[in-house]
Amino acid sequence: MTFQRLKSHLPWITLLVLVAVVGAVDPTFLRPVNLLGLAGDIVPLFIMALGLTFAIYIGGIDLSAQSMANMITVMASLYLSSLGLWVAPLCIAVGFLLGTVSGYFTTRQFVPSFISTLAVGGVCFSMAQWLSGNRALNMDATQRDALFGWMIGRTGIIPNELFIAVGLLAICLFIERRTTLGRALKAVGAGELAAAASGLNVGRFKILAFAISGALAAVAGLLFSVKLSGGAPTIANGFLLPAIVAVLVGGTPLTGGVGGVLNTAIGTLIVAVIRSSMLYFGIEATQQQMVFGLVLIVAIALTIDRSKLRLVK
Amino acid sequence: MAKRLLTYENAVRWAPLLVLLALMLLFTAINPAFLTERNLARIAIAAAPALMVAVGVTFIIIMGSIDLSMEGSISLTAVLFCFAFVQFGGTLAAGAWLAVPLILLAGAGIGLVNGLVHVRLRIPSFMASLAIGFVCTGAAILVTGGDIVKIDDDVFRALLTWRILGFPLMVYVAALGVVVAWVILSHTRFGRHLYAVGGGEELAHASGVNVGRVRLVGFVLAGLFYAVAAILQVAKLGQAESVTGANFMFLSITSTVVGGVALWGGIGGAWNTLVGVLIVFVINNGMVVIGLPDYVQNGMLGVLVIIAVILSTDRRSISFVK
Amino acid sequence: MYELKGIDKKFGGVHALKHVDFHVKRGEIVGLVGENGAGKSTLMKVIYGAYQPDSGQILMDGKPVRFANPRQAMDQGIGMVFQEQSLIPNLSVMENIFLGNEKQFTRAGLFDWAKMAEAARHQLAKVRLDVDPRAPTSGLSFAQRQLVELAKVLTLEERIEGDLVILLDEPTSVLSEDEVKLLFKLVRELTNRASFIFVSHRMDEVMELSDRIYVMKDGAVVDVVARGQSTVEAIQHTMVGRSIDNEYYRETRQKPFDPKTRLVELDRVSLPGRIKDVSLTLHAGEVLCLVGTEGSGREAIMRTVFGMLSPLSGSVRLKGEPVQRPTPRHAVERGVGYVPRERKVEGIVAGMTIYENMTLSQMGRYATAGVLGTGAERRLARDWIKRMSIKAPSENADCGNLSGGNQQKVVLSKWRSGGSDIMLLDHPTRGLDIGAKQDVYTMVRDMSDDGVGIILAADTLEEAIGLSHTIIVLKDGAVQKTFDCTPGRKPTMYDLLHAML
Repeated sequence: MTFQRLKSHLPWITLLVLVAVVGAVDPTFLRPVNLLGLAGDIVPLFIMALGLTFAIYIGGIDLSAQSMANMITVMASLYLSSLGLWVAPLCIAVGFLLGTVSGYFTTRQFVPSFISTLAVGGVCFSMAQWLSGNRALNMDATQRDALFGWMIGRTGIIPNELFIAVGLLAICLFIERRTTLGRALKAVGAGELAAAASGLNVGRFKILAFAISGALAAVAGLLFSVKLSGGAPTIANGFLLPAIVAVLVGGTPLTGGVGGVLNTAIGTLIVAVIRSSMLYFGIEATQQQMVFGLVLIVAIALTIDRSKLRLVK
Repeated sequence: MAKRLLTYENAVRWAPLLVLLALMLLFTAINPAFLTERNLARIAIAAAPALMVAVGVTFIIIMGSIDLSMEGSISLTAVLFCFAFVQFGGTLAAGAWLAVPLILLAGAGIGLVNGLVHVRLRIPSFMASLAIGFVCTGAAILVTGGDIVKIDDDVFRALLTWRILGFPLMVYVAALGVVVAWVILSHTRFGRHLYAVGGGEELAHASGVNVGRVRLVGFVLAGLFYAVAAILQVAKLGQAESVTGANFMFLSITSTVVGGVALWGGIGGAWNTLVGVLIVFVINNGMVVIGLPDYVQNGMLGVLVIIAVILSTDRRSISFVK
Repeated sequence: MYELKGIDKKFGGVHALKHVDFHVKRGEIVGLVGENGAGKSTLMKVIYGAYQPDSGQILMDGKPVRFANPRQAMDQGIGMVFQEQSLIPNLSVMENIFLGNEKQFTRAGLFDWAKMAEAARHQLAKVRLDVDPRAPTSGLSFAQRQLVELAKVLTLEERIEGDLVILLDEPTSVLSEDEVKLLFKLVRELTNRASFIFVSHRMDEVMELSDRIYVMKDGAVVDVVARGQSTVEAIQHTMVGRSIDNEYYRETRQKPFDPKTRLVELDRVSLPGRIKDVSLTLHAGEVLCLVGTEGSGREAIMRTVFGMLSPLSGSVRLKGEPVQRPTPRHAVERGVGYVPRERKVEGIVAGMTIYENMTLSQMGRYATAGVLGTGAERRLARDWIKRMSIKAPSENADCGNLSGGNQQKVVLSKWRSGGSDIMLLDHPTRGLDIGAKQDVYTMVRDMSDDGVGIILAADTLEEAIGLSHTIIVLKDGAVQKTFDCTPGRKPTMYDLLHAML
């Protein structure tokens, strides 16, 4: 019981402990500029994790997020010159649409979400390769700066990405806490059958969750391509694992229903601190994937609600 | 009682084979070069490692679980194999053959860890295996430092270069793998218990089947087959790196499901997987033969897997899916 | 040879078995009857080892034994033929027969299928079933599967030295008359090797087959009848007999319903599965009770009214208007509320607060442009917590932490606060204590006074008779008989049982 009560507070306690430990080892880590920079760097990942939160919150998973972001970097780089600012809504619409497709197959055709999203991810990868001709693309630097430069500059010592992140977080938090959509998603995640027996159109809400996940993955891809001033079919590889880790260590379990986007914000910060602390402790970047894989297992094992799994398959 | 020909079981058994034959006819009609010994050998070589991966995951899917660890698992075992091979003398003629049992053991070990995380920590298999896959890829990056490890041994490369009846040795190794898998699945207690778990886990448990152990052994076997796949892949490429296993996950699961192994467990077998892999590679090859770019592949796999899952789903038995 | 002495079993506050004495002699066929919830299934689970008794003794040949699980009971010769099919459909018949015991057929790790088929044929011959042991089980008919289950249990003959006790749980429920005859013939033949415990709802069959019959009620054995010593009617009386207090079901508050206002009309509705040509009409202020055995179609009919199931043929009208494309959403908009049997799974969302649960079906009313006005929601919840006297710290309490009765009140509040005037109550008092049950009965009367029409599937026959204006008895998916239940003219329980069985 005490652990159960502690559980919901575990994420931020973990975050504070990690920050304190790293700060004790290297006090420069705690300098505001450093911390803000750290937070700014992880924004594309955060946005992807934010989207994933919706899919996981209803008890599903979105494995297409990374391929989606990859494809969007290509699309953004390719169409920036011809579409200008309109490339942003295009990218988001494509993400939303493909998310809807995953959601449709999962809810209406009974394809498990890890397969349907994997399949949509495959389609994204193909499209990215086709659009890019299988090579890296560059954006026109002056056009990028003119149209999207505001995304990546700094205001004082605060990176502009952070404003975007906080803005999106606020919107998602509002959706989650104050709208019928958020309430319905919670009901679906916590008790799908009861939600259906209350007359909710469960299928539509689940499709929407996947669509939001797709749209936010697209935003992440867009921001990433602006940051790197280009795109390629594999440029965002390496995002999926830390994004899933961020959602899960934040306290949204694989079984859904509890947690939420604020938890993901904390989870992403934990990921950021782990990343940079590995540098401080001399763990090379090449080993990060291993560490995150292990963190993932621990996070799932601690958060998953086993009473909801009659059989573990 | 008259025997009904058009039962669900019969459809599952024969539909994929018919699809395969139809595809081969279609591509031959478009371009007769498709049905030449050289082209068929090309398909077989391309398919051999993937076939071993698909056979491995077949064990898992039949018991109603899923394994997404194969990419990391193959990368790691391939890399370790190359290191061990070089370490033990660099040629099969010397002591390098030792690398083979060693790597099979390593593969089985990864499978065991996978199974333990899934069964003992009660984590759904797709997530447990995904995480293990990430760890393995990470480990492969770690041991190679991002470099490529090459093997240059004519004896070992005979797997690719030594041809019998036009097909290289590795094709026969893969074929043997399928036969072994078929024997295990169809003629051993363990194999039948996999079907029992996939068909009704609680019922199997009530009849005294040790479900946890069946699952564990299933993952160990899968890991073993991934290691075989890794060795064949190294034989094919002559080298290994941390991305050697890339793309195998999607490819193998799609092939298995397309061949008629139901994602819900309990239905299908080694032959289905063989036919599924051949369908996927015939389509790939056929697309190249008729002049389509190869990057269409992933998109096609995506479409195929969704169609296959939808067709193999018995809607009456499902309430909801996540 | 097999004996239970003073067995007690409790689940939380529920006393499921009260000091049960029970014995089976060698080669005897013992019947076990009782209403739903009388304790039959708990007793069976104790016998085949799925439950361990809290106190009392299990004796075999006079020696006390303890079974930690069904497997251990099996090793002592106690086998169970399950009512719900326990065969794995994708395995062959012979594999199912020997599942968990295949070791005898392997040579060098590989199966000797011929040997297994031969052994399976031997088992199948015991139950006179002529099917290919290699055939997949999914291709068999229900009756054939039932016999395969029996054959599976009969493998104990070869495995166990001593005598066998075989439990048959409702084995005839899916069989035709001829198949039942065959099964009975088999059972009688097998008594030279095994004793049987026969559980069934079909009283005439129990009377025909059993040497002795145990009658259970409220967790206790109330009578033991030897063959030929009693009649079906007398046993039914013992099963259900208890003095009924009119006040218990608030019968004095039962008022005539309004026959002019038709809320729900089903016209010759057929559903996939077994429902055929069901017609019924629910009026304002009426409590219409569906009575029938498990699987008679009560739940399916409710789900049809709620729009979760679509009829294959026939029509559904809600408040006079035909339903074209049934969905729960649509039904809710027309004022239908559904209180499902599985309260914790379908009734409430555990993990959500009371107010979130209460407004789940009517969020649109508390939102403008999709944004929820939480203040109004909470006011509603506080109001209904008071009206229904729900015991909870506040409207922010997690519904999952409430007691069963209070959860049920939340579910009822959800619909009543939204103005639902067609209520579907599926076993609304299941698992509740007496006080909470009475609260539900009061609420039923309150709703009737408000002109709400209620379709009810009651937990017991008494409840059905006590609460309803009209009772429709269902059998095998069809309407068998309709009873008028005006106070003073209510049918007796065994009138109902007669129509049911």
